[in-house]
Amino acid sequence: MAKSYAQINEKIKNGDAVVVTAEEVIEIVAKRGIKEAAEYVDVVTTATFGPMCSSGAFLNFGHSDPPIRMSQIMLNNVEAYGGLAAVDTYLGATQPSTDQGIDYGGAHVIEDLIAGKSVHLVAKSQGTDCYPRTEIDTWVDINDLNEAYLYNPRNVYQNYNAAINTSAKRIFTYMGILKPNMGNVTYSTSGQLSPLLNDPLLRTIGMGTRIFFGGAQGYVSWMGTQFNTACSRDENGFPLTPGATLALIGNMKEMDSRYIRGAAYEKYGTSMFVGVGIPIPILDEEMMKFVSVTNKDLTTNIIDYSVQGKSRPTIKNVSYEELRSGSVDISGKKIKTSPMSSLKMAREIAGELKNWIQKQQFYLQEPVTQFPMANTVNGLEIRKAEK
Amino acid sequence: MVVKKLLLSFPQGSAGEPVAMELIKTYNLDFNILKAFIDDNIKGTLLLEVRGENENIDNGMTFLREHQVGVREIESVIEVNHDECVDCGACTAVCAVDALEMDSDFNLIHHEDKCLECMQCVQACPMRAIRALI
Repeated sequence: MAKSYAQINEKIKNGDAVVVTAEEVIEIVAKRGIKEAAEYVDVVTTATFGPMCSSGAFLNFGHSDPPIRMSQIMLNNVEAYGGLAAVDTYLGATQPSTDQGIDYGGAHVIEDLIAGKSVHLVAKSQGTDCYPRTEIDTWVDINDLNEAYLYNPRNVYQNYNAAINTSAKRIFTYMGILKPNMGNVTYSTSGQLSPLLNDPLLRTIGMGTRIFFGGAQGYVSWMGTQFNTACSRDENGFPLTPGATLALIGNMKEMDSRYIRGAAYEKYGTSMFVGVGIPIPILDEEMMKFVSVTNKDLTTNIIDYSVQGKSRPTIKNVSYEELRSGSVDISGKKIKTSPMSSLKMAREIAGELKNWIQKQQFYLQEPVTQFPMANTVNGLEIRKAEK
Repeated sequence: MVVKKLLLSFPQGSAGEPVAMELIKTYNLDFNILKAFIDDNIKGTLLLEVRGENENIDNGMTFLREHQVGVREIESVIEVNHDECVDCGACTAVCAVDALEMDSDFNLIHHEDKCLECMQCVQACPMRAIRALI
């Protein structure tokens, strides 16, 4: 029997909704079967907590007296974009600071703002007739800002690859430090708990889907960049290579700095750990089948990051269960596997979202529109002249 | 007999005194110098593995403190700040001896006794939550 969003929300309102995490649901399906589980469970919560570089914040500082049309903007010595209106800016997560480099960057400023800390704002301008001020030097915290919202162009990658290094020297990547001669493998996923792996064909996740975002209630605002729904899939619809991504939006004033953390990857750059939880409504048996996926069923490719080209070779295709086991076998050699995203925090977030729904603090939002399912990703051609 | 790892820090200007020598002689301790260096401010650091009677080691530590030498018993030269740590696992990727390891629930576990002091985890930690004591 199919359920509608309205029916599930009614159950949430009455305190009757059965809400479980994407890990807990696996056991329920194993015991009761897909059909019965689909009737019993109403919502399955998914989550991830990993480094997501394509993140940042829109901020509005309010006007000083006399006002300034900010063109060069620094927040704790991290440059923010000056190409918007007078006191609007976008602060990118990966922008390093001029004094501490990658150890303190845009992501750390965002974390500090969410934590309620005061941030040093220095801005310059040419000065105009209506905005005469040419310099400003002040301190602001999140309560001083008119608006502060995260707008992350690409988060929660569906089925990202794992990494290895076949070269003879150590390399430093956003997938961590990769030891020479295939000394280790790193991977970044919450696997069977991962949002987009529990709704592989994006039936319930689209524009407007309400989510847990950095401890606040946020929304899916668009498809993410490098959205690749035309990726190859297994017979059940699960991507075999990196697939969909999401653009997310949420109010920083309602967030918790426990779930938004600045990070620094040695000899690579600044990034941001982003906590995201997405509820999946169990509309019918097909959705229950999707959310019952396990690490055994999901596979990804181990890619050679030592090849400095666009087409990096796949060394091996492995299941998430193998990656989670602590080692994989490659050509008879046992190689250690290490996670880059926090399963512990992902579990906490899936549990927290479940709590919100059970306490009638969070209701499901049906997508305003679905995302395209045959989207491909272009590379960048280097041309000698305009097309 | 017990074995302890001691981290000694010598204040500026004390490099000329044979404190370590006296420590060994007076308190009948065997030791292994694991690391020794003097920094730009002429402050010295000495990492010792000391073997001896527990009482002698304790008295030796008191003796050092009386001579203005900072002394701290440590298990490992790295310190994980669990308040900053998010249990991502990035440090375990570089740890060759599994001194840093994820348990079955994917919490980070630090087996201090296994550490070989390669310090690669300090670089690998994206939260900068691992500090080197030397």
